[in-house]
Amino acid sequence: MNKKLYYIVLLLLFCSKGISQNRTDSLSLNFNVKFNHEPLVFHKQYISSNKDIIAFETFKCYISSIQIHYSDNSVFTEKESYHLLDLENPNSLHIPIIRATNKTISKVVFNIGIDSLTSNSGALAGDLDPTKGMYWAWQSGYINMKIEGKSSSCNPEASGRKNAFQFHVGGYMQPNYAMRKVEVIPNNSNLDITIDVAEFFSEIKLSETNSIMIPGKKAMKLADSSIKMFKTE
Amino acid sequence: MRFNLRNTLFLGLAIYISLSFVKKLTEPLYFEIPKGWPKPHYNFNDNPLTEEGFQLGRHLFYDPILSKDNTISCASCHLQATGFTHVDHSLSHGIEGRIGTRNSMALMNLAWSKSFMWDGGVNHLDVQPIAPITSSVEMDETLENVVTKLQKSTKYQNLFEKAFGTSQITGQRVLKALSQFELQLVSANSKYDKVMRKEAVFTQQEQKGYALFKANCASCHNEPLFTSEKFENNGLTLDTTLNDMGRMKISNKQEDYLRFKVPTLRNSQFTFPYMHDGRFKTLTEVVKHYNSLGNNKNLPKQLSKPMNLSDDERVDLVAFLNTLTDTEFLYNKRFSYPRE
Repeated sequence: MNKKLYYIVLLLLFCSKGISQNRTDSLSLNFNVKFNHEPLVFHKQYISSNKDIIAFETFKCYISSIQIHYSDNSVFTEKESYHLLDLENPNSLHIPIIRATNKTISKVVFNIGIDSLTSNSGALAGDLDPTKGMYWAWQSGYINMKIEGKSSSCNPEASGRKNAFQFHVGGYMQPNYAMRKVEVIPNNSNLDITIDVAEFFSEIKLSETNSIMIPGKKAMKLADSSIKMFKTE
Repeated sequence: MRFNLRNTLFLGLAIYISLSFVKKLTEPLYFEIPKGWPKPHYNFNDNPLTEEGFQLGRHLFYDPILSKDNTISCASCHLQATGFTHVDHSLSHGIEGRIGTRNSMALMNLAWSKSFMWDGGVNHLDVQPIAPITSSVEMDETLENVVTKLQKSTKYQNLFEKAFGTSQITGQRVLKALSQFELQLVSANSKYDKVMRKEAVFTQQEQKGYALFKANCASCHNEPLFTSEKFENNGLTLDTTLNDMGRMKISNKQEDYLRFKVPTLRNSQFTFPYMHDGRFKTLTEVVKHYNSLGNNKNLPKQLSKPMNLSDDERVDLVAFLNTLTDTEFLYNKRFSYPRE
């Protein structure tokens, strides 16, 4: 009887599709959204290096094609690697990754944004579902990074309606392909990565530029400066 | 009962196999490629067609739930009997009578389309509906809210369950279902098609018109789809009340100024008015427009030589265009409002 039970359990284990991963083998990439050294909190005021007083309402960003490089030159490449980081949803800032045991991580490589092929693949699921508010309608493609908020520098003369600023960075077609590759070298065993939004605003004067919502040269510049946002401390 | 390993394994396997069929109670649909037509552009592997998916898409296509105030459906501007376009409206209107800037496009043979909209800004059939759903002059809704509204409806929970094996509604599933309906809108049984298949013959006038068509129109309106899928400047002057620069808005290239997608001519007898802004009411006006062009260096080489059609030839050409009418398609009950 015991033997029968044993086989049934064995059979059930065999039939179950997903064999759960050992907990100790996993770790996560943790993104900490900051403004300079302070954690970024919505509706709180920050001052940029250009003296703009800024309060944030939205911070969303796609991270894709995550690779973990180890000191022995082996590389872990995450499959179906598309993640929407949304400051409104703190869980989204932690991306679980399977760790190869006993190896030291030398660097973490990923893209900010969504690649051209994926941008041409129709309606997708999960974090890529167009209901996530990160998909353009009139011209197909994902918004790689969306930063919105208010600043007194966005006055009506500078066409900043209701003092609002909106930066929707994206574009999947050359010459305005806005995806960017980032490499960070972790300095502790936790994979803590800072996203310093102050870097993004150090290259913008809100009295002059407060709305970029289409692919193009300006979006390409913002995409360049977004690389500097990702760092380890 | 004595334990028997072989029996247990056999039973387990039988249960496992039957379980794997549980989610496959859908009826696959075969997408038929008309004889002599090119390979469709749409990748059906990413969205396998089923009867249930098609019916769900059909319900969504005809349901004003897609719009902010539940008044406008896809079918409001894409009526079957007129080749799935908005007949008699030069510019289509959305909720609260808001007027857009373009003439709605006819929907047919979309599996062969590489881009969508007059400016080709949309790169895939699946994501096309996002544009009218979110446009402030069309449905003025968000896809997210459409999903929320549908999720509350028992009818749609059932339809999604049937089509996708889950009543969990997502943006992806809404869009894929709409594609399933739209992909089936194949028009390939006009008199022209029957003549090509040697099941019918053109009248003398239609035959003359066909010869004129091949000499003057077919270089952009390529058979058998009657479009090259390209963007061209066809010599229309800019409507300064709209200032629509066409493809240039998408590509940012000067050469794309006033270029618009070459539309199919299938069913054009009923898709009036014509052109991206609906400025011509009749096919005769359209032919007259092309007849009036010539010796303009801004025009593509296909239009650089004047057509110089006589009045009789213009009539012959329109007679040929009317052979592209596919009544079976325009009145196919499978594509009409779902009465249940």
